[in-house]
Amino acid sequence: MTTSVGVLPGPVTTAPAVRQARWRSRLEEATTPARLRLLLALLILLSLAWGALAALTADQHASAAADVVAVSEPLSLDAEQIYTSLSDADATAASAFLAGGLEPAAARQRYQADITEAAIRIEAASALVGSSAARTELPGHLRNQASAAGSAVGDDLAMLSGQLPAYTDEVGTAQADNRLGYPLGAAYLREASGLLRGTLLPAASDIYTRESALLTSASAQATGLPLMAIAIVAGLGFGYLLYRSSRWLARHTHRVVNYGLLVAALAGLISLVWLAGAFVAGRGDLLHAQQQGSGPAQAYARAEVAALQMHADESLTLIDNSGDDTYQEDYAKQQKLLGPGPGTLLAATGSSQAASQAQAWYQAHRALRAKDDAGNHTAAVASAQAGDAAHTFAGLSATLSKGIESHQAVFASSARGGRDAFTGLAVGMIVASLVMVAGCVWGLSRRLAEYR
Amino acid sequence: MKARPRPWRALVVVLTASELALGAAAAAAAPGQPSAGSGVRAARAVTAPAASTCNPKASSLAPSGPAQVTPGSFMAKIRARGYLIAGVDQNTYRFEYLNPSSGQIEGFDIDMINAVAKAIFGTSAGHVVYKEVSDTQRIPDVTSGAVDIVAHTMTITCERLKDIDFSSVYFDAHQRVLVLKNSTATSLDDLHGQKVCATNGSDSLGVIKKYKAIPVGVTYPTDCLVLLQQGDVAAISTDNSILAGLHEQDPQTKLIGPALTDEPYGLGISKQHPEFVRFVNAVLQQLRTDGQWAASYAHWVGTPVPSPPPAQYAG
Repeated sequence: MTTSVGVLPGPVTTAPAVRQARWRSRLEEATTPARLRLLLALLILLSLAWGALAALTADQHASAAADVVAVSEPLSLDAEQIYTSLSDADATAASAFLAGGLEPAAARQRYQADITEAAIRIEAASALVGSSAARTELPGHLRNQASAAGSAVGDDLAMLSGQLPAYTDEVGTAQADNRLGYPLGAAYLREASGLLRGTLLPAASDIYTRESALLTSASAQATGLPLMAIAIVAGLGFGYLLYRSSRWLARHTHRVVNYGLLVAALAGLISLVWLAGAFVAGRGDLLHAQQQGSGPAQAYARAEVAALQMHADESLTLIDNSGDDTYQEDYAKQQKLLGPGPGTLLAATGSSQAASQAQAWYQAHRALRAKDDAGNHTAAVASAQAGDAAHTFAGLSATLSKGIESHQAVFASSARGGRDAFTGLAVGMIVASLVMVAGCVWGLSRRLAEYR
Repeated sequence: MKARPRPWRALVVVLTASELALGAAAAAAAPGQPSAGSGVRAARAVTAPAASTCNPKASSLAPSGPAQVTPGSFMAKIRARGYLIAGVDQNTYRFEYLNPSSGQIEGFDIDMINAVAKAIFGTSAGHVVYKEVSDTQRIPDVTSGAVDIVAHTMTITCERLKDIDFSSVYFDAHQRVLVLKNSTATSLDDLHGQKVCATNGSDSLGVIKKYKAIPVGVTYPTDCLVLLQQGDVAAISTDNSILAGLHEQDPQTKLIGPALTDEPYGLGISKQHPEFVRFVNAVLQQLRTDGQWAASYAHWVGTPVPSPPPAQYAG
């Protein structure tokens, strides 16, 4: 990559003065046709080199942008959905369990929808990771990161698809025992929740972390400045050379305009403007996708996951009523993380609605705990099932879900816009460089012909 | 056996390590071939070396007449408060468990608590607050005053008598072994080197260790049944009262072997309130004689109903 770049502007812009002088004196010693031939060869070489550099630049940006849209973004979205679906299943199963032997139909449906969604996403993510073809075109360092992430993510996904049935089995056993009125049901529910939190969620989280990192890298590659800056500087340098060549021709051949060189210059100018324009547009879209899309969506997703875990903790505390308060301690821990307040997950979303809904839920939760601690288990369960705690949590959860969805929509459309800006760019650069070659050959060969 | 990573469960096992050390000490002190009763006495002697004269079954305070709420007593304080705070478990089927159908805590131990509440308030309805305590939290909650009384399938031991008082014995349990129906084991002796489950904070773990099985500690007895059903442990060994409840939840299990220990159950009460201990003993004495004890036994444990454990007092 760097060698092709280094060759280009060398003789034109950065050669030491001594070498330049020697080069010029040698040119002046030669006959005009010889000089013309030399100039033609140089222009052809530089046209092709410019085409290659511009096409390479376009391709690197295009493939990184395509990876953002086609692989990294869907994978991190899948991972996030796996995580939230499983968290929601955990919270819903626990909440349904509280209802006693017969779980409410709505809760049963929601749990099943969560499990189905998780299973579909696991399969979709496995298919994406499996089709590594999309990622072999990535630039070197990104390709290495992608393949390392790919194998780790593959392991995580295999574990998830293997353990998901074990989890649903345990929840099923818990429900069956609960229907019989056996406390064994609660033990199975704890076991299931432990499996989910101890094994399944960490795997989903690992996928999410790796794919988000890859998304950030691919995005940075697509929006990165260095290669594009080099290409544009080279293009400008080449344009200056064309201008000097046509001035030299005008002096030596007494013709004001050389149409061949003019065509070459126009093609060069168009390709340069196209490259720069596509980059500016694509970069703007991708940055917008990140800043207004995936960034906020991630913030909402992290808040929702914390809220879901707290909701499961609330139910499990009522089911479990362990003297050691494990689940209630976890609730308090997550509440600190969720906020609202400076540096919390809710603060990161910037949603004042979610913040006030969270406060309302905390208040209902405190009332629920007070009831339970005073021995009024039935009233506490009623609050968690269909009372204040249930309603306030549902409000918070809906706001957070909506936040995720709307920002993901922004991301998807902006990222697609960013990718599309690079569409056909590499081919365009090659075509332009061929036009430039043709223009130079046409323009100079007519002058050469005059010497025969 | 399913090979599944269970990090939280590993933690549970690690947490029991200190108890295992205790169990190992007991095993080292146990004389030769462990015969049921002597082994346990030896184990107790190690954990409570000073209390050589201690007799768990006759360690409580005699009632001073029928149960009466005397002015200025702890009972009067409870009555003024309006409710009795009882530390219980919710997962011991038939003894104290949260009935998923009714949402109520029920069981044999709960009957004892309700009788105490009735003696204080005239009726138990609405006058008991149940606080769920784990096995390891029972003694700290009694000594701190977080609960007035603990009814928690709790064995009276000399070790525990150093920290809290107990009522007279209200139930005689014995440690036994529960295995799956297709198991070939006939006693804990057949389970050398195999994993056997009991709850953390119970004295069952030390006995399991003494028999050279691998103790696996969990939070609740029902967690043991999950492990047994999933093939992660070969057996559960704890009080037969608890095992009977587990067997009822999974008929594909069977009780095996002789009674390994004596586990006299008492209600745990703070040493601050000797008058309450005497009061509770008066209530229990009433239950023994008026047939309520037998009725509870028949309802929660089954028939035939033995005669209630006789009340013996130290003073």
